[in-house]
Parts: sequence; C-alpha cells; structure tokens
Amino acid sequence: MIVRLAWRSIWRNRRRTLITIISIGFGLACTVFFIAIAEGVYAQFIDQVVRMQAGHITLESPRYRSGPAVDIWFEAPESLRSQIERLPQVERTKLIILGQGIARSASGDVSVTLMGIEPSVELHTSPVVRHMVEGRYLNNQDGPWVVIGSGLAKRLKLGVGKKMVITTNDIAGNLVDELCRVRGIFKTGSVEIDGYFIQAPIAFARRLFDLPEEGATQLGVVLKTPQAQEAVLQKTRTMVSQQDIAVLPWQEVIPEIASYIKLDRGSNLIFQAILVFLILFTIFNTILMSVLERQREFAVVLALGTNPLLLRLQILMESVYLGLIGCALGLVVGGLAAWAVQVWGIDLSSLLEKGFTISGFAVSTKMHARVTIGLLLGTGGLVFAATLILSLIPMHRATRLSIVDQLR
Amino acid sequence: MTNIVSLQKVTKDYGEGDALTHALRGVDLMVEAGEFTAMAGPSGSGKSTLLNIIGGLDRPTAGRVEVDGREINTLSKTDLSLLRRDRIGFIFQSYNLIPVLTALENAEYVLMLQGIPNAERRERVREVLKEVGLEGLENRYPRQLSGGQQQRVAIARAIVSEPALVLADEPTANVDSDTGKSLLDLMRRLNETKGVTFFFSTHEEAVMKRARRLLQIRDGVIFNDQAH
Ligand SMILES: Nc1ncnc2c1ncn2[C@@H]1O[C@H](COP(=O)(O)OP(=O)(O)O)[C@@H](O)[C@H]1O
Ligand SMILES: [Mg+2]
Repeated sequence: MIVRLAWRSIWRNRRRTLITIISIGFGLACTVFFIAIAEGVYAQFIDQVVRMQAGHITLESPRYRSGPAVDIWFEAPESLRSQIERLPQVERTKLIILGQGIARSASGDVSVTLMGIEPSVELHTSPVVRHMVEGRYLNNQDGPWVVIGSGLAKRLKLGVGKKMVITTNDIAGNLVDELCRVRGIFKTGSVEIDGYFIQAPIAFARRLFDLPEEGATQLGVVLKTPQAQEAVLQKTRTMVSQQDIAVLPWQEVIPEIASYIKLDRGSNLIFQAILVFLILFTIFNTILMSVLERQREFAVVLALGTNPLLLRLQILMESVYLGLIGCALGLVVGGLAAWAVQVWGIDLSSLLEKGFTISGFAVSTKMHARVTIGLLLGTGGLVFAATLILSLIPMHRATRLSIVDQLR
Repeated sequence: MTNIVSLQKVTKDYGEGDALTHALRGVDLMVEAGEFTAMAGPSGSGKSTLLNIIGGLDRPTAGRVEVDGREINTLSKTDLSLLRRDRIGFIFQSYNLIPVLTALENAEYVLMLQGIPNAERRERVREVLKEVGLEGLENRYPRQLSGGQQQRVAIARAIVSEPALVLADEPTANVDSDTGKSLLDLMRRLNETKGVTFFFSTHEEAVMKRARRLLQIRDGVIFNDQAH
C-alpha cells in the first residue's frame, strides 16, 4: 500500500513530476553523451599516436628516457619479439629507430626526426599510411627511400622520386651522411609531423646510424584492446627481468599526451559537475516542495498512528521512482545518442577545416564516442544515489512536523 | 463500566510571557465505554485542545491523563503512536482523507498499519462502508465524493479498527445541517448497535441535543455535565 501511495503521490502533480524526471534524464543524458564523446576522442587519439609511435607498451634501454638519442640503443632479439607476440592480447610488435638529423636538398636544409621503421609492420599500424597524398608508402623492398611530410616537401622543394641527403651522427659520434629518394609524401594535419618527420626503412636507418642487426631504440607492443595494457605490461616485465631492458607504458613514453588527457578530463569534470549540480538543485527543490505542501496530510496519517519511519519510507519511495524513471530515461537517451556516434561517428571536418592537434599530434576530425557499461552504470548510479541523498532532508522534515499545529 | 478516559486537573498553557494562554484550566473528566458524549462550547473555549490531549496528539502542561488504562505522560512518542493506531479513532472537521487513495483504501489505511492481511482487511472495510451507507462508492476518490460522503468515509476509517474510543472534533461543522443530522444519526446508530464510544465536540444546538451526555466548556473549564 505504501508503494501504491508513493506511486500515486508522485503523479498527483503530473507537471512537476514530469519536469523532475526530465531534468534528471536530461542531465544524465548530457553527462553520458559528453563523457562518451570525450572518451571516444581520447581512445581514438591514443590509439593513433601509440600506433604511429612506440606502441601501447615500449621496450627500450633503461637509460633512454634520461637522454633520448640513437646512441642509447638496445638489442631486441627476435626470440623476445615472438615471445611477446604470442601473448593473446598483443596485436603485433614494431621495431623502431628514432634519431635526429638534417635533411638537405638543393633548396635548403631542415632539422628533422628520422624514424626507421619496418614497412610491413607499419603498413598495418601507422596512421601515416592512411595520409599519403603523393607517391606511396614504403615497402620491405625499398632501400634508400623515405616518406616525408608535405610541409617538409614544400620547404625542400621535393617531389616523389627526388633526391635528398640526410646528415647525422652515428652511434659512435661520427658525422655521416646518406643519399636517399622520396617515395611518398604524407599530410597528417599536424604541423610538427608534416614539417619535421621522416620515415625510412629500418635497414636504411641501421646503415645510417651504424647500428648492428637487431639493434633499435624501441620495441613497441601494439595491443588488440587498450584494456589489456596492465596485464601485458606485467607479463613483458617478467620476460625481460633478467635483461637490461625497461618496459614502459605509453603514458611514460609520451607523458605530454597522458597529462593533456588528464587535464582535459578534469576540466570536463568541472563542467559536468556544474551541470549535475544545477539539476540536483531542481530535484531537491521539487522534492522539498512536494513534501512541504503535503504537511497537513502527513500530520493526518501520523495522527492515525503511522510510524514515522513508514512515512519516511514512502517519501523515499517517491524519490526512488523519480530517480529510477529519470535515470532510465537519461541512460536510454544519452546512451543511444552516444552509441549512434560510436557506430557512425560525427565528421567534424567541415567545422574544423584545418584539423586540430594535441601536443603536435593530429586528431582525426571524424569523432567516435565510446560508451561502456561502466560509464552508464557509474553515471546512472551516481545521479540515482544523489537523488536519494537529496530526498533525505525533505524526508526528515516530513516527520518532524507538529501534528497539532498542522491540523489546527 | 470501565473508564476509557480519566482526566484529573488537566491544564494546558500555550506561549509564554504576554502571549501566555491558558487553554485548559483544570479539567476533571471521566468517560466510560459505550458513551455518546458531546462537548459544547464557543470557539476558543478549549475543545480541540482537550480532544488533542485525550487523543495523545498533545501533552498537557499539568495534570493526569489516562486513556484506555494508560497514563499518557508515561508513554513514549512511539507508544503514543501505537495507542492512537490501535485504540483511538479520529474524525476531523475537514474530513482529511488521503486524496490519492480511494474510499475503500482510505478506510483500509489503519488496518494496513496494523498489518492485517489483505483479504480480511477488504472484507471488514466493505462491511463497514456498507454500514455507513457508501456501498457502490468504494472505488471513488475523495474529490469525487460530496462532503457528507467524505465524512462517512472518515467515520468508516475511524471505526473499522474497532477502537476503544472515537474522537471527533466538530465533525459536522463543514456540512449543511441536514447532512450533519444524518452523520450524527449514523454515529448514534453505530454507538447503539456496535457499542462504539464517541466523544465529540460541537458548537451547534442541533448536535448537542442528540448527545446522550452533554459537557459544556468555556475558557478551558467544564462548567456543566448532564445526561440527556
Ligand atoms: N498552538 C497554539 N498556540 C497558541 N495558542 C493556542 C494554540 N492552540 C490553541 N491555542 C489557544 O488555546 C485556546 C483554545 O483553543 P482551541 O482548543 O482550539 O479552542 P476550540 O477548539 O474550542 O475553538 C484558544 O485561545 C486558542 O487561541
Ligand atoms: Mg477547535
């Protein structure tokens, strides 16, 4: 009967109840939608960056981080690679050599980052492959051929097939140079990458820097799902525990990205907190109002001998109904909207014609949301719990009234 | 006969300083089971105050109040609430039904509080609603009933749990005199056939005449007590 009473009581003021439910639903839907979009952008972005760089998990010399240079190389034996690749969560591994140098053509010279890569692996992982605008990407048969960014091509007035010279120091510190030709030109949208980044086959890089077979600066591990990171990190660390090799998560290899995301999440959180706070304020008001205007009725039922706890239970039930309906509405609307963006994506290229970059890395203008059960349950649970907590004060008020004064 | 109500030197003050009001100034009163008693007095004479104290809704400033053999002053809030639920029926001037419950559910309410099983509850309530003349109107909501009908539901709600005492504060003040008369006939009949003890307040002549015992109160003092 209390259940019935609570249910009918909330529908007494249909308009107010609808407003309350819609505020809960709207607030929750917005929260779910925006978090899902943000998480989707982060995930997509992280995925691209780690695939272009040194993977979700990076193996390198323990001394590399304190002075990143090609002479802090390490040996990544084939046996270790295949051991890691046998882990079920691992998509593939990629060997890279990262060094600095000067690229020179007849039209000038530019200081660049040179990345030696395995074309057959990179073909599957690197976003650079998808951004070729001229020529083609490298393959395993390519010898002294490189791909360069559109910005660099412009500065050095280079086209496909044209010659350039790379000058650098090898691992012993000798000044060396190598002639190479442009196989293709890419355009990612990032000024830094398009203007100062060169990829070359790893064999070419080894010859240039005078590195031995199996020598590299990083061995990257690309995962099938980012959630597996911690597990793979642990397993890989065990594998190399006897060797002089550091195993790092991407957060430590590209900390500027990790901290950017952290910061961005934080600022989103503040925005969402304000939104949720405003909505909770409305909810609090309507619950309090609905209690205050029924004081006389409450006095009557208390006079008839209703246990005050039962009355509180009834008011709590009313909030449970409001919260459940509102949260269900919010989760369905927000979840569906976010899910649609997850499946189809939103193309923002018309809005952001130049694209935008985070810490020099280009972000895809096609956004995909990322909805997880955890996100839905977490936000839904939070709003529901907040609704119940907010009803505690009105609930208390209802049973503290003076029966005699109310009935006069 | 057993005493349902026993008051000794009951006083009740409201406010303090300049605003101090002596609502009751030493009331002595006995009410026995089976009585049909009216308390008459002008507005502000202390009728509601006295009913509230007997009903365990308020506590006296001084004096001794016994209801159904229990001393009000020794009871906790919870005990008082249970005493009201199980031993006292209330009828208010302005009906005070629960608007979201039907006539049947309103009458059922106290039985629900008492934890009486559904089937038995329904049976008892239907019978009582029939007795108060509301057969066929069980599923109406209060707003779909006239004032007199609503007060009948309130009477059903008050008597269905078979309390030792039914208190009614000016039960006919909100209805026209014909309706008031029939409500009073109903209460009188319930008193005679089922032995329900009624104690009600009024300031209407017609109502006073139908009581079997009439108390007169003024300025917080009962100055006349006579049997009809
Ligand atoms: N809560 C209260 N606070 C102050 N004065 C009150 C209160 N309740 C009743 N009184 C006063 O007590 C007196 C008796 O009131 P009441 O019992 O309501 O009279 P009646 O029901 O006979 O009209 C009146 O003077 C009234 O103003
Ligand atoms: Mg009164």
